[in-house]
Amino acid sequence: MNPRQPAYISVRLGRPTMTRSTQVLSGLALALVATLAISASTGVLGISPWAALSGTADPLSLQVWWQLRLPRLLLGMAVGAMLAGSGAAMQGLFRNPLADPTLLGLASGAGLFVALWIVLVQGSAASSLYGQFAAGFLGALCVCLLIFGIASRQGGGSAAVMSLLLAGLAINTLAGAGGGVLAFLASDEQLRQLSLWGMGTLTNALWRTTAVALGVVAFALWLLLRSATQLDLLQLGEATAHAAGLEIAHLKRRVVIATSIGVGLCVALTGVIGFLGLLVPHCLRLWLGPGHRLLLPASMLSGAILLVAADALARTLGAPAEMPVGLLTSLLGGPYFLYLLMRRNRPC
Amino acid sequence: MLTLCDAGLLRAPTLTPLSGTLLPGELLAIVGPNGAGKSTLLSLLSGFRPCETGQLLLDGHPLPTWPIAVLANRRALVAQQEPPGFDWHTEELVSLGSQPSKALVAQLLDELDLTHLARRSVLSLSGGERQRVMIARGACQLLSRRLPDATDGGLLLLDEPTSALDIGQQQRLMRQLRRWASQHQMAIACVLHDLNLASTFADHVWLMHRGQRVASGPPAQVLTTAHISRVYEVTLAPPSTALFSPAV
Repeated sequence: MNPRQPAYISVRLGRPTMTRSTQVLSGLALALVATLAISASTGVLGISPWAALSGTADPLSLQVWWQLRLPRLLLGMAVGAMLAGSGAAMQGLFRNPLADPTLLGLASGAGLFVALWIVLVQGSAASSLYGQFAAGFLGALCVCLLIFGIASRQGGGSAAVMSLLLAGLAINTLAGAGGGVLAFLASDEQLRQLSLWGMGTLTNALWRTTAVALGVVAFALWLLLRSATQLDLLQLGEATAHAAGLEIAHLKRRVVIATSIGVGLCVALTGVIGFLGLLVPHCLRLWLGPGHRLLLPASMLSGAILLVAADALARTLGAPAEMPVGLLTSLLGGPYFLYLLMRRNRPC
Repeated sequence: MLTLCDAGLLRAPTLTPLSGTLLPGELLAIVGPNGAGKSTLLSLLSGFRPCETGQLLLDGHPLPTWPIAVLANRRALVAQQEPPGFDWHTEELVSLGSQPSKALVAQLLDELDLTHLARRSVLSLSGGERQRVMIARGACQLLSRRLPDATDGGLLLLDEPTSALDIGQQQRLMRQLRRWASQHQMAIACVLHDLNLASTFADHVWLMHRGQRVASGPPAQVLTTAHISRVYEVTLAPPSTALFSPAV
């Protein structure tokens, strides 16, 4: 037998029964459309999405809906899907239900760079979303390269999971300290901007940023979805997964790069929105089982639903003022997560 | 068929170069004290650590020239136990790494006495039950990914497959390994601590000591009082009822 010839028995890994995943995913997609429709009609100005789409609403409402509300909905959808999807992928990569992008230091690294931009570069000039975007992107990328450098030095070429985790821990600490120093240096106006952004909010949504976000997030999610069967295999442990045909270094690189690009962008645009990446995959796993071919897309859809809904709440609860949606998700998500941990003795 | 030509590892943990073959239908037991390099040898055989001196040939081709996905059709590994992170069902876990028919999964579960646990979460199983699930998964990968033109059943590597099993299950598992070896012409290499099991069921035994293979051959030639007392640093009483009983 010639080993160079391709495996002509095509191997699809794991389950699931197609009918069930189709049902679950189409149900979630419908729920997302419904959430978008409801969320599009709530707010300080009650505008029916049908009236806005058909152009029959008054000019002011039309402008508000098209220029403010719609991009904001779409940004919420993209960020929610990205955070929950990358959380699910990270948990699979680390084989640990408590992992998420903040664990690797990606979010805090991106956050530190954005804060650096606001305080040192932007100075007293008007805030620039593109600058923040580039800074967050750069921050996540630097963290990504740094942790791979550290991990491959220790792991003899392949990034060992434990060294990745420890590198993330060190970066989180460093970024926290750096953020503290920057807050000390910042002017009053910058401090206000920093703290608002740091709480997590979708108010920055404009068409040009939302369009970029949608494109980048779609690319990152596509990369993650392509890794689903490999993530399943990785659950066997590295040596066994390697023997079952998995290119481990490949998979790690793809998941970490997709996550750092997507999360870096999300952090730059919206600040840190907590608990989605941890909570959504966790709950879905209880319902759907641990197979990533269903868990990944379901997490992305549910993350989008949750963030769009939470943002609608944040816009209406204290209207006309609005609450940072990151605070809301943490306030709702934290206690629920504690409840889950207490109810279940098992760690997953 | 697996052939080692002076294959060894230079970086720690090291492995002194060794040669040998493992033929289809054969059961090889790798024995030796803790830290002797048994698991290291297994990771060399599986290709997880590529050999740093010499060569390792599978079906006549050097292991590094095999694409990793094709190699997975020919060799499977059951590593020492790692706690599973998520709650797969037994059946799902057995099917990971291949796309087996329902009949094959049912047959393997039956052969390893797991049928009653098929729909249970692996997190709720005992250590011994989980170990048998992972062994079933390894066999499942080889049997379901077997290529139509393959003349033998490939290579199954097991790292201490009996470590969490009771003595009844140990016997049943070893008998099952023998059956797989002869039925499917599978070559099986397993790390064992129980020398009685090794001498009862293995065709060949490799005795490891400090990263080196110090003896190899049929069990009767390798598992001698002289070898064992030297390698394990124990004093053995002359054989009585049990094959080896440590002196009191």
